[in-house]
Amino acid sequence: MMRHAADVPAGSGRPSPNGLVADTSAGLSMRGVTAGYYSHDLVLNNVSLLARPGKVTVLLGPNGSGKSTALRILYGLLRPRSGQVLLDGREITAVPPHRRLALGMALLPQGRSVFPELTVQENLEIGGWLLMRDRRRLSAALEAIYARYPLLKEWRQKQAGSLSGGQQRLVEIGRMMMASPRVILIDEPSVGLAPVIVDQVYEEIARLKEEQRTILLVDQNVRAAVALADYVYTLEYGRNNLEGERGAFEDRLEALIKSWLRF
Amino acid sequence: MLTTISLSLLVQALINGLLLGLVYTLISLGLSLTLGIMGVVNVAHSTLIMLGSYLALELLQRLGLDPIISAVVAVPVFFLIGVLLERLLISRVARTSQTTGLLVLFGVLVVIEGAAILRWTTDTQVLTVSYTNASLTLDGIAIAVPRLIAAVIALALVVLLDTFLRSTLYGKAIRAMAQNRDAARISGIDTDRLSLLVFGLATATAGIGGVVLAMIFPFDPQDHYRWLAWAFLVVVIGGLGSIRNTLLAGLLIGLIETVSSILFPFQYVYFIVYLLLVVALLVRGQGLAGSQSRAL
Repeated sequence: MMRHAADVPAGSGRPSPNGLVADTSAGLSMRGVTAGYYSHDLVLNNVSLLARPGKVTVLLGPNGSGKSTALRILYGLLRPRSGQVLLDGREITAVPPHRRLALGMALLPQGRSVFPELTVQENLEIGGWLLMRDRRRLSAALEAIYARYPLLKEWRQKQAGSLSGGQQRLVEIGRMMMASPRVILIDEPSVGLAPVIVDQVYEEIARLKEEQRTILLVDQNVRAAVALADYVYTLEYGRNNLEGERGAFEDRLEALIKSWLRF
Repeated sequence: MLTTISLSLLVQALINGLLLGLVYTLISLGLSLTLGIMGVVNVAHSTLIMLGSYLALELLQRLGLDPIISAVVAVPVFFLIGVLLERLLISRVARTSQTTGLLVLFGVLVVIEGAAILRWTTDTQVLTVSYTNASLTLDGIAIAVPRLIAAVIALALVVLLDTFLRSTLYGKAIRAMAQNRDAARISGIDTDRLSLLVFGLATATAGIGGVVLAMIFPFDPQDHYRWLAWAFLVVVIGGLGSIRNTLLAGLLIGLIETVSSILFPFQYVYFIVYLLLVVALLVRGQGLAGSQSRAL
């Protein structure tokens, strides 16, 4: 069942449509977040979201609906003007991004984000920055990543900037996984990649899901994202629009995408 | 016709050029670091160099400290000055426009220069120590001992800094920050604290640079603009690619200066060096902003 945000009283801790109580003390959530880059222009207007523990939550919406801004707020790259961000019930709104890995969070940003003039191995080491005082744990984490993504081991001496877009995406994923995060925010994972690579990226996200990690996925690739989703939110004009379990969305995808084309 | 005299003159010029080039590299390192890593055009850089020269003077006059020791003392002193500058001024304006930062640092330049004139007057100073006029002579080629010492200190710093940036995790984090600040932050790096470290290091190299310059050149509170120009020249020619490129550019400028000074009258040397700056800017075509994108 899918419901419209207008049917639901604002705030969270409310019963979810399938009768289960949405437990706001677990997972990553934002409550009543209002945000914008300029004073006269709100990008997000009283938005509430919850990424349920161990589930894939997908955030959809047309261009400019505020999806990426929501991720930036959830990761502390942008401060909301009002509202809160909570991780497992603890308020983390003001925790700066560099301290979020230690909380078990990670962000896979949109577009290229490798350090191009560092080698693949150095990129991974930066991902293990939190372990810098513990050489042994750092090298253990590195070995674990090489075991998980054997290709990275092959490329470890190459400059990250010399790799193809798809290869760089793998480096970015490997770098993020160095800290073995529980809660992963992913922003437009397939933008600018060849279709064959895109499939691999979604396979990787599926693996993260199998590993019971909490995932919040922002995506323009609606079909692929919904296929992975447990729960879906849509934003429109910076406000909560629809939300519901995957099943409720699968039938309506066509209509949803069409309605967004007018934006 | 190449007589033995002119040949030895040339060799002399080459050696002097290399020694001078190492010193030019040292005084440019800080500028290259702050611009390449933080995107800050530190026009006050040369006043920090000048303060380094006066630190050496004060330590010599008050405590009789040799400038070699002053170069070591300069490290913590100037690191602290850099950290304070970053914390109190630069971190506040760095997130605004680059022009704001430029103006603020120009203000710092004016304040430091004014304070230096009040404290030390505009008189030209020289550091005189036991080896000031000493030289090593080999096959008719004389190497001034102060220049040799200055060059050795400069080389040691270049090697240290290069090793630090390449081989330590902190160095790699600094390079990562230069290449993608947001990605560094989400990887757990506290970029604000690392900026303090970078600015502290850059200022420390300026301080040592000042000590080293004082060993070989007279100085006063107002002649630092020359070093600012030289440092910008090294940065423009070497780009912000790496410490090694800065070294190559520094050596090149040192060599051009000394070799052109045996070929042309002294007053043309500056003309030639500035011509080189124009050519470098035209060839690179992107100026300082362009070199910024090739950060470390």
